[in-house]
Amino acid sequence: MENQYWRSLEEREHFGDGGGEFQESPLRQIEPDQSRRGFLKAAGFAFAGGSLIGCSRAPAEKAMPYLSQPEGLVAGRAQYYASTCAGCSAGCGLLVKVHDGRPIKLEGNPEQAIGRGATCAVGQASILGLYDSLRLRQPLAEGKPTSWTEVDAAIRSHLKRDTAVRYLSGTITSPAKQAAIDRFLTQFHNAQHVMYDALSASAILDAHQQTHDARVLPHYRFDRADVIVSFDADFLGTWISPVEFAHDYTSRRLPPDRSWHAQFEARMSLTGTKADRRMKIAPGEIQERLLRLLRQVESANAGGDEVAERLLRSRSRSLVLCGANDVDAQVIVNQVNHLLGNYGNTLDIERPSRQRRGNDRELAKLLNEIKAGHVGALFMDGVNPMAELPEPPELGRVGLVVSLAGSLDETAERAHYVCPDHHYLESWSDAEPIAGLISLTQPAIRPLGQTRAIIESLSIWSGQPERAYDLLRQKYASNWERSVQAGIVQVEVGQAGPPAKWRDGQPKPPTPPSDSSGHTLVLYPGVAMLDGRHAYNPWLHELPDPITKITWDNCASLSPATAASFGLTDGDVVRIESMELPVVVQPGQHDSVIAVALGYGRKASERFANIGPHWIDRGPTVNAKGHVGENAARFLSLDGGVLRYERAGVHIAKTRRHIELAATQTHHTMEGRAIVQEVALKELGKPPETADVSEELWPPDHPTTGHRWAMAIDLNACTGCSACVLACQVENNTPVVGRDEVRRRREMHWIRIDRYYSGTPDDVEVAHQPMMCQQCEHAPCETVCPTLATVHSDEGLNQQIYNRCVGTRYCANNCPYKTRRFNWFNYPREDRLANLVLNPDVTVRTRGVMEKCTFCVQRIQEAKINSKHNGAPIQDGDTRTACQQCCPASAIVFGDLNDSKSRIARLAKDGRQYRVLEELNVGPSVHYLKIVRQEDQRNG
Amino acid sequence: MAEVCSPLRLPLIAGHKKPGTVTEDVCRPMLRPPSTLWWAGFTLAFSLLLLGVAAISYQIATGVGTWGLNTSVGWAFDITNFVFWVGIGHAGTLISAILFLFRQKWRTSVNRSAEAMTLFAVMCAGIFPVIHTGRPWLAYWLFPYPNTRGPLWINFRSPLAWDCFAISTYFLISATFWYVGLIPDLATIRDRLVEQSSAVSPGGLKARPAALGLRQRLFSIFSLGWNGSYRVWQHYEVLYLLLAGLATPLVVSVHTIVSWDFATAVIPGWHATIFPPYFVAGAIFSGIAMVLTLMIVARKAMNLEDYITLRHVDVMCKLLLLTSSIVALAYGTEFFTAFYSGNPYETFVFKNRALGPFAWAYWTMVSCNVLVPQFLWFRSVRRRLGIVFVLTLFVNVGMWFERFVIIVTSLHRDFLPSSWAMYRPTIVEVSTLLGSFGLFFTCFLIFCRVLPVIAMGEVKAVLHHGNGNGGPA
Amino acid sequence: MMRSRILTIVLGVAVLFSGMLLASRSSMFRLPGNHQGYEPVQPIAYSHRLHAGEMQIQCQYCHFGADKSRHAGIPPASVCMNCHKFVTAPLGAVRAEDELAGKEKRPPRPIVSTELSKLFNAVESSRPIAWTRIHSLPDFVYFDHRPHVNAGVACQQCHGPVETMERVRQVADLSMGWCVNCHRDANRTGIMGKRVKASTNCSTCHY
Repeated sequence: MENQYWRSLEEREHFGDGGGEFQESPLRQIEPDQSRRGFLKAAGFAFAGGSLIGCSRAPAEKAMPYLSQPEGLVAGRAQYYASTCAGCSAGCGLLVKVHDGRPIKLEGNPEQAIGRGATCAVGQASILGLYDSLRLRQPLAEGKPTSWTEVDAAIRSHLKRDTAVRYLSGTITSPAKQAAIDRFLTQFHNAQHVMYDALSASAILDAHQQTHDARVLPHYRFDRADVIVSFDADFLGTWISPVEFAHDYTSRRLPPDRSWHAQFEARMSLTGTKADRRMKIAPGEIQERLLRLLRQVESANAGGDEVAERLLRSRSRSLVLCGANDVDAQVIVNQVNHLLGNYGNTLDIERPSRQRRGNDRELAKLLNEIKAGHVGALFMDGVNPMAELPEPPELGRVGLVVSLAGSLDETAERAHYVCPDHHYLESWSDAEPIAGLISLTQPAIRPLGQTRAIIESLSIWSGQPERAYDLLRQKYASNWERSVQAGIVQVEVGQAGPPAKWRDGQPKPPTPPSDSSGHTLVLYPGVAMLDGRHAYNPWLHELPDPITKITWDNCASLSPATAASFGLTDGDVVRIESMELPVVVQPGQHDSVIAVALGYGRKASERFANIGPHWIDRGPTVNAKGHVGENAARFLSLDGGVLRYERAGVHIAKTRRHIELAATQTHHTMEGRAIVQEVALKELGKPPETADVSEELWPPDHPTTGHRWAMAIDLNACTGCSACVLACQVENNTPVVGRDEVRRRREMHWIRIDRYYSGTPDDVEVAHQPMMCQQCEHAPCETVCPTLATVHSDEGLNQQIYNRCVGTRYCANNCPYKTRRFNWFNYPREDRLANLVLNPDVTVRTRGVMEKCTFCVQRIQEAKINSKHNGAPIQDGDTRTACQQCCPASAIVFGDLNDSKSRIARLAKDGRQYRVLEELNVGPSVHYLKIVRQEDQRNG
Repeated sequence: MAEVCSPLRLPLIAGHKKPGTVTEDVCRPMLRPPSTLWWAGFTLAFSLLLLGVAAISYQIATGVGTWGLNTSVGWAFDITNFVFWVGIGHAGTLISAILFLFRQKWRTSVNRSAEAMTLFAVMCAGIFPVIHTGRPWLAYWLFPYPNTRGPLWINFRSPLAWDCFAISTYFLISATFWYVGLIPDLATIRDRLVEQSSAVSPGGLKARPAALGLRQRLFSIFSLGWNGSYRVWQHYEVLYLLLAGLATPLVVSVHTIVSWDFATAVIPGWHATIFPPYFVAGAIFSGIAMVLTLMIVARKAMNLEDYITLRHVDVMCKLLLLTSSIVALAYGTEFFTAFYSGNPYETFVFKNRALGPFAWAYWTMVSCNVLVPQFLWFRSVRRRLGIVFVLTLFVNVGMWFERFVIIVTSLHRDFLPSSWAMYRPTIVEVSTLLGSFGLFFTCFLIFCRVLPVIAMGEVKAVLHHGNGNGGPA
Repeated sequence: MMRSRILTIVLGVAVLFSGMLLASRSSMFRLPGNHQGYEPVQPIAYSHRLHAGEMQIQCQYCHFGADKSRHAGIPPASVCMNCHKFVTAPLGAVRAEDELAGKEKRPPRPIVSTELSKLFNAVESSRPIAWTRIHSLPDFVYFDHRPHVNAGVACQQCHGPVETMERVRQVADLSMGWCVNCHRDANRTGIMGKRVKASTNCSTCHY
């Protein structure tokens, strides 16, 4: 599909803030009580839904053309607008797919260096935030809706030149916004901008302050590292910039230049599952281990330690990281990296990362100021301190509390004024995730409510109102159109960061863990929930955790040994001090550790009380408190000027309660079946022993003359990050079913990621295997369907025709891969606003109908029609499935097997190629590439 | 004189009946008002039926999700009940058709009710394929019919499509067979009713048709003007023989086709070649058991001890024993193939059946279908109606579990361990099962009231069998 | 006996008669969802006969989406205004007014026909015109104009002789059979001499 970015400023005006077709924003008409047709009317063509089946006469359906159609806009054709993801502070580039005026899908922008065309699950899901019906539509004063003029007047009247103004925000990657904030704060004698990250990397910056005189976060270059040694840094899952890291990392996971990766960690992290050598280590021991490493590196004598050996062998091409938010540890890490000469190679501090800029020390200071009542006015932007901090700030003592949050979260509730920001898909902005790499954000739709960009609010409060659009327009005047079209600004390459000056500082001796009794509680961000900023998002709640496969909950994970010692099994509820959580037994976890995910138990999750089908035997999705999961933030601690994510000396107590966890996978071993296959590094070169490919006695029953669509999935690359699962859900209108239905094993995801454990309990190996409809050649589902609702296409597709399906479920029973999904109910789609995210190119399935992966046939059709139109045959890569499109590891390849030059045709002959359950001779069209395992050093 | 007779010559009907008394005995329950026992049974059955109706309406209104199914286990109670009832529906045709062809005279006193039972069982069975679909209102798409879709036919490769034909054929043929068998008796009753009414009517023997009550009308309509003449009887016998010949292959075909639902699938535990004979034997096994259950109650309640004698029970018990051992053989064979094939998936499924989370169901099945019937080796047991009654109940339970085990244990753990799941029925499913029993017994109880439960015509033909040396034996 | 026979005969005749009756009216009976012959009144009495027929305006001048998009599209008012900026009433009326003005020695008054005034009002008040949709497929069918137009299928093949219609009417029944059989024919005979591959895969229209 060739992407059409926006082509003309006139049209930009139509979607931007400029005067458009209508007096007031068409989207403003959308109230949950109104029909979605109201929207489509305005947005262009109203070909509203409502099946005609059963009508004796056509219903009076209105079709409303534009009065004057924006140039280049063709009703029914999608447009793509380059933008930047604000799902987290990593700042991946996006292409926003806009259909008839509605953004419906986010795709990575290949030209942007962070995402490189990929996105993560959170990014994919963030589009739903745009259509969140609980987002604020207008400013609030003391909780009551009011107008902007009143709010502005009120706020400005509060602000005197000598008010102590504090602007508390998360990491600001946007230069424009930073400028606006600074300009705003210069009005006051006593003003300060405090940044903190709920998932803090403050220690890393502080450490560099100590060792390099510059408070910077290095730009880690995994693509340059031959040896990666990570201490509790989940860089493939949630750490700083996972998409970028995953891409760089996986680009080096195959010979000849395969990197070697050792992971020291307390819990089983996504990154740990991919490591060549994974060592369990208690959080308290990290410093000791680092010091040992430091000595080995200093003395250039590994002393038989494999990790040190490899590091020393590849100086300046290695990378040592630490995820712990502990300055001492980070200083040691810096020293090791310095001694190995990695700075300037695998760590770039000339052009450092700006993806984490928070400063916990300043946060602590601010909290004390607030406690002391020294803060006159507090502005909060993109943070939710009431829910994210160990002890919530006493906002009561602040004269003026202004929240700029888009929705009424725990903090906004307590604010005097709430000045809702746009959703990022509605606003003009920019981002500089890496110094010198500027990525633009442009609105893909007019604001749905009377919200206002923070930049504009600030400019008004600083007395010089300016539109964000104008600001950016001036800022990037040179080559503006090209920049907006590409979504990135080429800035002249120069000294962006400070000179990396090494300053020696003796490492402090490791501090022994304060309380050795009890267990260590480790608080970590889940791949979906992160710090909880997306707790409103049902897609993310229903996304199975890549490791535990549990949805709609955060659990206390214990190592098997620990669980056994307490006599606990999955689902038993334990009390950790004041918090009650269900247990999940996690192989590969350190015995002294209890791991709990952050970001749950948020107010935003109260909305899920009624999610899912309604029937007599339904179970609740939310817990007794009305939340999804428990908020573990109160166990954080803010001492020594950093947020600490582990707490020693925690005691757990059994309760009598047991709840059934909503897991999408409950059996974790492969039962010795060759489902996920592996190949040792040294066997790799050898030609594959010709598998027992039984001779076909019959001619192929589905000869393909034209295309033959097929897919290859590289299990060696797949990190299990689950971005594909969400991309598929967004692309294919898959419903959210709620906790109870998942518990009944009725989740609807078309692609799932099977996770298998192997090896010994204390050295467990993990394999991720994306599993979707295998589009079999001799599909067992096709022969048994009585109504011909699933049949084979002459392009090798196994077609599922919803409107012909009566729902006998025979096909699903007969599917060896169990990848078919059945609509057990009419899953509620009452939220009309949220329905605007539905992809108009994919039918919304009704109750009683079977569905499954279609290889994104709607995209194939689009590509075929385009190729017919242009008279050029489909090129390899013209049609890409949603899962392939977003995969950070580029693990998924889709294409035409009959096109000998295509990548898929090559991969189907690859030495690592195999097909799951090939012995059944159902002829799956999905080819898997074996995992490459490091042959074990110790025994040969 | 019995001691000089070979067992073959033992009387089929006890109590030295005369044809007149036969009619008397058979018609008595129909003509007198229902007993309290009947009312009790009917109330129970009917309330179960209502429960089932409620459950099904709720399920159709809400969705198949109201059953405990999931992505891995797509069938459970629904198809289990379907196969179970179809199985029950086998005894009737077996007894009336096959035993007729084999000239088994003893069948005469049980075939009528056995056939009736068959019809009701097939009715119960027929419900489930319809309501198990996600969109029952479109279930008619399972039949081929001309349409504006191009046209678009059904998938003739699908065993489910075959089922539709098999079941509907079976129902039609058995219904016809049953009805044809009824005609002479209907005529008899018609005449009795006429006599009665004429007896009371002042017009003497000549009763004016206007005076006929509704029942008489119906009986006279459905007896198709039967006049018991020689010609009529001859035609009747020929037709009956033909229908028997027609029905016989169905006894085998229906459950064979039903078994293909599983045998043609790739799922280990389903994909087996022994299924057709295995299922047919099982069906007859359960059918006979159900006949016995009903007969033992009926003969007591409607005091037909002279017609349904211990000898009948004895013979059917032997049949039970035979089919039970066939089924047992099948269970064994399954395990042997699983072990001998060396197919890991197959082997696992059977390990899982015997030792997995559904082992309780498996062992219930084995003990009810294999162990319990072994008692029937003993003549003394076969002659103790109470014990036989209990045994047959066990067999019914066991056969239901057989289908449950085959369907659920095979599905819940198949090829990819990642998709292994458990299955737990919901209240809706259970109510639906109870409802089907409700329907069955309601129909049967009504049948006992309004139609002759014993084929008078045929019984009269074997009255003299073994009594002296007269009579067409 | 006799009575019943008469009854049988009467019944038979009745059945026969009503059967004939239905057969004759069969065109009036159609399956649910078949809207063949649907001919709604439109907000503006726009005449395809006049524009497409007499004036010979190409279909795709107004329905410019047909070769670019799934939807052929209903023209935005601006397209109408391309001509109707100048044409405000039937030629005859304007001429008459001119003559009259010439006689009366006065500048001719502008004449605006009632239908066109609706268009002009819409543009002035910038309220889009709500046309009533005629050809409408179920939501699970994805028809796309592009491949058909690009393959050279004449608009009339599906939409009928629109250029002769005062008010547009649905000519085809738009049933699946109608689509599929046309595809089959196209594969056999080709379109305008040119061989085509009109796919009959289900997923061509259903996904």
